[in-house]
Amino acid sequence: MNTRLASVARCTIWLASLGALCAFAWLRLDVQQPINTDILAALPAQQESGALRVANERSRDAFINELLILVSGTDAPVTREAALAAYTALLNSGLHAENSGRTLQQLLAVYQAHHFALLDAKQTARLNRGGAQALATDVAVSLASPAGLTSSFDADPGGYLTGFLSRLPRPYPAFLPDGPLLTALRAGRRNYLLRVQVGASGFSQAGAALAVRAVHAARDAVRQTCRTCEFQATGAPLFAEAARREAQRESLWLSVSSTVLIMLLIAWVFRSLAPHLLAALQLAASVLAASAAVIVWFGSIQILTLVFGTTLLGIAIDYAFLYFAEYWFGEGAPAAVWRRVRPGLLMGLLTGVVAFAFLLLAGFPALTQIAVFSVTGLLEAGLVVALIFPLTLTRAPRVAAHATVRWPQQFIQAGCRPSRWRYALPALVLLLCIPGWLRLQTSDDVRELQHLPAGLLHTDAEIRNTLGELPPPGFFLSAGSDLEQALAREQALFATLGARAPSATPLGLSRFLPSDAQQQASLAAWSRVFGAPLALQTAFRNLGLPVALAARLEAQWQRAARRPLAAAQLFTAAPDLQRLVIPTSSGVALLATVTSHGQLNPATLEQAAASTPGIEFVQPLARVTETFHRIRVRATWLVVIGYLVIFALLLWRYGRREALRMLFPPLLALGITLGALGWLREPLNIFVVVALILILGLGRDYSVFLREGGTRQRSPALAVTLSAITMLFSFGLLAVSRIPALHAFGLATLIGILASYLSAPLSLPPARRESA
Amino acid sequence: MTALRAACTALCLLAAGAVHAATTPRVPAAFSARFVETRSLPGFDTPLISHGVLSVDATRGFRWEITAPYHYLFEMNGAQAREQLPDGSVRQLDPEQAPWLAAVEQIFLGALSGNTVQLQRYFEVHMQPLAQGRQITLTPRPGPLSQAIVRIQVVESAPGRPEQIDIRETSGGRLQLRFTPTGASPTAP
Repeated sequence: MNTRLASVARCTIWLASLGALCAFAWLRLDVQQPINTDILAALPAQQESGALRVANERSRDAFINELLILVSGTDAPVTREAALAAYTALLNSGLHAENSGRTLQQLLAVYQAHHFALLDAKQTARLNRGGAQALATDVAVSLASPAGLTSSFDADPGGYLTGFLSRLPRPYPAFLPDGPLLTALRAGRRNYLLRVQVGASGFSQAGAALAVRAVHAARDAVRQTCRTCEFQATGAPLFAEAARREAQRESLWLSVSSTVLIMLLIAWVFRSLAPHLLAALQLAASVLAASAAVIVWFGSIQILTLVFGTTLLGIAIDYAFLYFAEYWFGEGAPAAVWRRVRPGLLMGLLTGVVAFAFLLLAGFPALTQIAVFSVTGLLEAGLVVALIFPLTLTRAPRVAAHATVRWPQQFIQAGCRPSRWRYALPALVLLLCIPGWLRLQTSDDVRELQHLPAGLLHTDAEIRNTLGELPPPGFFLSAGSDLEQALAREQALFATLGARAPSATPLGLSRFLPSDAQQQASLAAWSRVFGAPLALQTAFRNLGLPVALAARLEAQWQRAARRPLAAAQLFTAAPDLQRLVIPTSSGVALLATVTSHGQLNPATLEQAAASTPGIEFVQPLARVTETFHRIRVRATWLVVIGYLVIFALLLWRYGRREALRMLFPPLLALGITLGALGWLREPLNIFVVVALILILGLGRDYSVFLREGGTRQRSPALAVTLSAITMLFSFGLLAVSRIPALHAFGLATLIGILASYLSAPLSLPPARRESA
Repeated sequence: MTALRAACTALCLLAAGAVHAATTPRVPAAFSARFVETRSLPGFDTPLISHGVLSVDATRGFRWEITAPYHYLFEMNGAQAREQLPDGSVRQLDPEQAPWLAAVEQIFLGALSGNTVQLQRYFEVHMQPLAQGRQITLTPRPGPLSQAIVRIQVVESAPGRPEQIDIRETSGGRLQLRFTPTGASPTAP
């Protein structure tokens, strides 16, 4: 009866604790964004202003949703027809294109109505200096210039509006509009550029798949219209889809292979289904509890936490194997299993929790989350072993200790035989590692973690080459107490850029909307000119122009609004421009960028921003890289500190000599892994650091389990061996991945776990001393 | 950035017209003519008349000079263009900042080379034989150019030998150019 009550109590405690945690998490869950995929959110919150976050989102959205499609051929009319067919196919597939025609009409009307306010500083100075004479000359030039063949003199007598419009930025200067297309002649081939957007996020599965389908449809449309035309497409959604497919292909065969291998191993060793079910229960419960704890703390969970945290929880399988090995092949009765494994398991759990708890001090949301995730997950895994395993594994197993079960113990015992090789071999290996350490390089560039298909990269380079414009390396944020100040600062920035980076083409709101001060100056210049009608008539007459034309211009001035163009009017005409304006708590910030024919030096742009008050130059990619760098460095130091504390714990329980001995194998494995990575020219990145934490954790568990169980017991050696083999199957297989991030992680894990396992006997004293 | 690019595209349409900058029509045979430009403005009884000289050749490029009632000179050779203003000052024109240069190049060199294929991409081209020569009517396809221009009529004595260009603007204005090969006296149309 007491046993049954105890069983109910154990189940109740476990379910109640897990249920309460999940319920609390459900209440705290940010339903809008349960999983946060923004890596920049991993930055400390105080460094990410609201404006910067919005700017990052807008800049990213514009980039990841756009597709660029180039249709080219030698026969211009046929190529144009093919491009139009592709355009129709893209729209029919659900992609969007800008309605540039309507925007054009609206903008033209707004600029036409305010053209007296749109003189630039140079033109204003010219009118101020030359007065009526300058105007008469400009009108004469406008009449005389062949430019008059392409514009309406009556709508723009002095050519000032045409000048203003001509100075406006263009995304691809070499390409000019042709209906819904942009077109240019390159190397004897007529190129038509189509720019379309994916409605959903280009990185989402739906968005990327839609983009791929649309591109296929467009390619088919081109082939049907023009067999000799070339079709090329690029854009983030296409890369995202290709990367996703490759990742799915790889993860499918890798996970199937590792799962089958692990299941075969467990089945072969234990000859029972129970270990499968219990290990799965432990893993599911620990991931669930870990995720719930993170959500309770933060409201949502970072994608980095989910990936790295779940990986680190792989350590928890050690506890299950320790229990299984003792239950199936230990010397004690089933009821005594928990008592026998408890010291090793609790010590392993304690040191694991301490190692991860130090990451709580990181100050980075990403590391704090990983710490919360890992600590909770380990505790839950321990709880499952302590509360649930003894309830289910009650009857004595009937599996005899077979050869596979015996050799791990034999290996450990062999490794503990007194021999000078116990010291010489590790020393020799460490010596060999020294050149590797010296060759070791770090990398935090997120681009090096991805595997991008060569074909897509080649097409992308070709299209960019044809367009003649490279994507900007970042964007500017111009902050001001109001729009006027922000515009003025942006104008000052663009002037600085003109001097320091002449090849850069600035794109920003101030190029569409002159500052109020400039517009007022423009109006004042006109006012002075028309304030002296006699002088104006004389100037016209002197140039042989009809005096009536002067009167006509003056009448236009009198009829005009003579007010600056307001931002609201511009945004009514072109609503999309409003996305360049980001309201802030202290005023407003303007989003701007630059394009160029060649690569722009980010340092030059940064210097230009630094020399202008209120301007910030932001490089999203560099910020991600910096985030990874800081996480990597800080995690490394915190793990070092954590291991000093673990050393203190081992010191307390086992004494100085044994504590040093127990830490030696994991540290040796760490050294060997780093040396091997150096020899193989594999860079040290954040994925490798996570692998190193995993290696240290496993190595530490191996030391504790063996030390607590000794060489005379079969179960610790078996648990350590099974753990090492399953880890190699789970993570070591990733070394064959074509995705650099996974490859780096898998390679480090493969080397590290092998080294941890092979050096595990070193955590025990030589057999002679143990028996003594 | 989408907003920015959308606006850029729209304004690019405005600024550039519908003629492609990188299009390089065949260079016509050397051509030189005097011309009279007559511009009629809506609501303006008296047309504005100016006189000038046009010359095109492979080495010196395109030269457009107004000689009366004031002096103005426009020269374009390849991507380089400059103009001399009535007050005598000279300014260089940046093709990046003056997309109309490409339009002018397209229309003039296209017409003078007799190459109507390039023009067909942007205009409905209708050719009508005359007793001597032909009349080409260019109607802008729907797009930016059609916002400013209703049609352009070119009368040629022979392919690549324009006699008269007549441009009708949407505002009601009209621009007529009458060419007389150098040596003859031009008269107002």
